[in-house]
Amino acid sequence: MEIVHVTDVHELAPEDQKFCEATKAWFKIDFVPKMSRVLLTVPEFGRPYGRASRRAMSDGALSRAQKELIASVVSAINVCEY
Amino acid sequence: MTHALNTVADSLRFPPEFSASLRHPLVPLPDPADEETDLKTVFDEIRNFYAVERVPAVFRWMARDPGFLQSYWQATREAFADRALDRPTKEILAFAASMTAKSDYGVDFHLREARRLGLSDRGLTEAVEVVQLFNTVTKIADTLGLKPDFPARPNGERPHV
Repeated sequence: MEIVHVTDVHELAPEDQKFCEATKAWFKIDFVPKMSRVLLTVPEFGRPYGRASRRAMSDGALSRAQKELIASVVSAINVCEY
Repeated sequence: MTHALNTVADSLRFPPEFSASLRHPLVPLPDPADEETDLKTVFDEIRNFYAVERVPAVFRWMARDPGFLQSYWQATREAFADRALDRPTKEILAFAASMTAKSDYGVDFHLREARRLGLSDRGLTEAVEVVQLFNTVTKIADTLGLKPDFPARPNGERPHV
């Protein structure tokens, strides 16, 4: 059971709404993931965390696909349903 | 597979294969040199697969039951074989799994393997960054009880994006 109110996109600051649009494009989905909205509930944390995430998940020495696989493995080991 | 091997190695306190440690095994580990000749083939295969002189402790332990070792090694070898994913990628994933599970034995083992198979310093940095990021968000998601963005269908399948 979710123990917090997951902020709606329209409740976020305009610059954060813009970041949410970029997130939709990044994942090629038509909604903003809950995690993005939860993190932006505290913009002072969510904004830099989002930038760090985008930077770390981009193609580099490892491909984005390899990085998504690593993320899946971490989620599996942590038994994280989300 | 990695998680299972790490569980055995860490629980029985096998020292890491490639870095210094004060750990001592809780159980005696057979020395491959003392084993029956029918294990020589599998031991040679393990040594070749990992490019090591000594069979890793976790496999030496399994030699207490040769039939089990032979089958389990075959499964391990196939799990890490080049297929849709190549072996270096699988070693990076095993390293990430070991880090997340805080396995001293696994981190040491798979970091060495991933590097041996070509993981660069930059690649290592990137892998650790992803492990760090997702150890953050998975804890946040669990603590807040977030339900998946892609709910399962009645038949249990998740929709494709």
